[in-house]
Amino acid sequence: MLAMKNVSKIFKTDLVETHALRDFNLEVNEGEFVAVTGPSGSGKTTFLNIAGLLEGFTQGDYFLDGVNISNVSDNKSAAIRNEKIGFIFQGFNLISDLNLAENVEVPLRYRGFNAKERQRRVIEALEQVGLAARMKHLPSQLSGGQQQRVAIARALAGKPRFLLADEPTGNLDSLMARQVMALLENINQAGTTIIMVTHDGDLARRAQRNIQIVDGQVCDFSLYQGQDLSATKEAHQQVNIANKPVAV
Amino acid sequence: MFFYYMDLGWRSIKKTPYLSLLMVLAISIGIGITITTFNVYQQMNTNPAGERSTQLFAVQLMSQGKDTWPDINAQITYQDAMNLRQSTIPTRQIAMYKTGAAVQTGDANFQPMLENIRATDSDFFDLFSVPFIYGAPWDKSIDVDAAYQVVIDADLNQRLFKGENSVGRELYLNQMPYQVVGVIADWHQSPKYYDLNNGPFSDPESIYVPLSLAPIEEFESWGNNQSWNTENIRNYQEGLHSETHWLQYWVELESEQQVQDYQAWLQAYVKQQQGLGRFERDDARGEVSDVQAWLDFNKVVPEDNKILVGLSVLFLVVCLVNMLGLLLAKFLKRAPEVGVRRAIGASRLQIFAQYMIEVAMIGAAGGVFGLLWAWMALSLLTSRFKLGEALTQLDLSMWIFAPMIAIVSTLLAGMYPAWRICRTQPSIYLKSQ
Repeated sequence: MLAMKNVSKIFKTDLVETHALRDFNLEVNEGEFVAVTGPSGSGKTTFLNIAGLLEGFTQGDYFLDGVNISNVSDNKSAAIRNEKIGFIFQGFNLISDLNLAENVEVPLRYRGFNAKERQRRVIEALEQVGLAARMKHLPSQLSGGQQQRVAIARALAGKPRFLLADEPTGNLDSLMARQVMALLENINQAGTTIIMVTHDGDLARRAQRNIQIVDGQVCDFSLYQGQDLSATKEAHQQVNIANKPVAV
Repeated sequence: MFFYYMDLGWRSIKKTPYLSLLMVLAISIGIGITITTFNVYQQMNTNPAGERSTQLFAVQLMSQGKDTWPDINAQITYQDAMNLRQSTIPTRQIAMYKTGAAVQTGDANFQPMLENIRATDSDFFDLFSVPFIYGAPWDKSIDVDAAYQVVIDADLNQRLFKGENSVGRELYLNQMPYQVVGVIADWHQSPKYYDLNNGPFSDPESIYVPLSLAPIEEFESWGNNQSWNTENIRNYQEGLHSETHWLQYWVELESEQQVQDYQAWLQAYVKQQQGLGRFERDDARGEVSDVQAWLDFNKVVPEDNKILVGLSVLFLVVCLVNMLGLLLAKFLKRAPEVGVRRAIGASRLQIFAQYMIEVAMIGAAGGVFGLLWAWMALSLLTSRFKLGEALTQLDLSMWIFAPMIAIVSTLLAGMYPAWRICRTQPSIYLKSQ
């Protein structure tokens, strides 16, 4: 469904070149739930931005549904985002002036649906996240978890092929995070492909596949999935303690 | 999407009321000043003759002596007026001048009043398409055999006869009885192109009398007179045969051929007069000017006025530049929201359209307020500076023109801010919100 081949992204300034992604290769199949982890600055968000056509890349190829979309125009990429991709952000990114229904309606407006169809989809999406009764409320009247559920409803309203979630639980407490994660799992079980960037190892482990990005390249740890890594972790901690500098 | 963008625009305006008000104020003041000066300019620059403009011609004669002024005269002498009447080429032709008299009715209690009068020929009314409420012009024969008949305007008819059909009734001019033969409707040509002597925006006369009565009643000229010759004019009759220019002469020529024939006739007339010892100058000639050329010749629109319009447009540009800055600040503040909209499928064009519609709404509000400013400024010009109402009347076209120019100019000012915001890179704002 989604395939990136030798994708590189270099940020250039007058003085330095930063390789955010280098020869990045990844394939995600239809219906998968992929968690992307990695240290800060490893290129997770850059990958997500490129996957969501929010940013271009320096070289390589990006195939979506078998079509090379490496050099699509801005208009075309906006249309692809609107039809095929749903976004969920850490900061929810709801439009504060619009009520819940209007927020969920935004992508449908750009898709050109008529009022009746928009209303049907908005209600359906808000029901899916359990907030249909509060559709006239403003985002500021909701808790963080509820706002994230509205953001998920907005992403789902256009019935996208896959969801890109960037730290969807990053701003939520653990209870809310678990609720949102459960919702994402339900959505995935219903057939939507999900790629989720997260720092939370527990959440990442709930995904079908874990991908770690290190220095702009993919380290696929799916081979280790299900293995007990506690011994390795303990050994690693011992080494760190041994190497700790001692004050003289 | 248009109404959706309008809704978003309205919400955005409400969200920043003071900033929006500042922008509306900036554009409205610019529009108000531009519309005020442009309105006065347009009123001055109007050609009220309309489609008749190219058929009506003012006649001029370079009849003055040597070592006098170098320009062709705007008016002609009485003797030339009488001579020009001999031509059979024009479809219609009239001579006229402005005079005045004390007006009374048969009612002994009626307080006499001084009124402006136009002494002219019967064809004046058809030539200038003057509408009648009652009656008609006096008969053409009266242009030769004088009779005491008058045409009055609706306002005087109201004052003298309470607006009733006064045809056949009598009024007194300088204590002489005249019979009313016609009442014309409110007819106010602005500029008053047929006689620009007393100011192009002066009021029309309320009474029209046959020119043929002038030698009998000795109506003095109340307009400007010009004379190049030192003549000892002892009485009215001598004045009629003097070289003093005080009459206006208009002809109706319906075809190009007719114009050429009449011009040739005029040159022949000049030659004839030279043969009689008049028209001494080498460049003596006769000319005809259609209405537009006549307005240009008389410089009805002063150069200062054009400069004023230019300056007011410059002021509008300054207002627009200010507005551009305010719009830029306002729009860029909303870059995070645009980032979200772009991420969930809005194209650059859709974002551009959304913001341009918001700009147009501000422009429309500016246009409405600008009209209000213009109306107030024009009222002030009338009340404080005694500028004629003909000049300070807000032209109907301005009601459409002002909002249109406001919208178009604000759209121009808003293009750059809208273009900047539509090029927002969504990824920059999505993480940082």
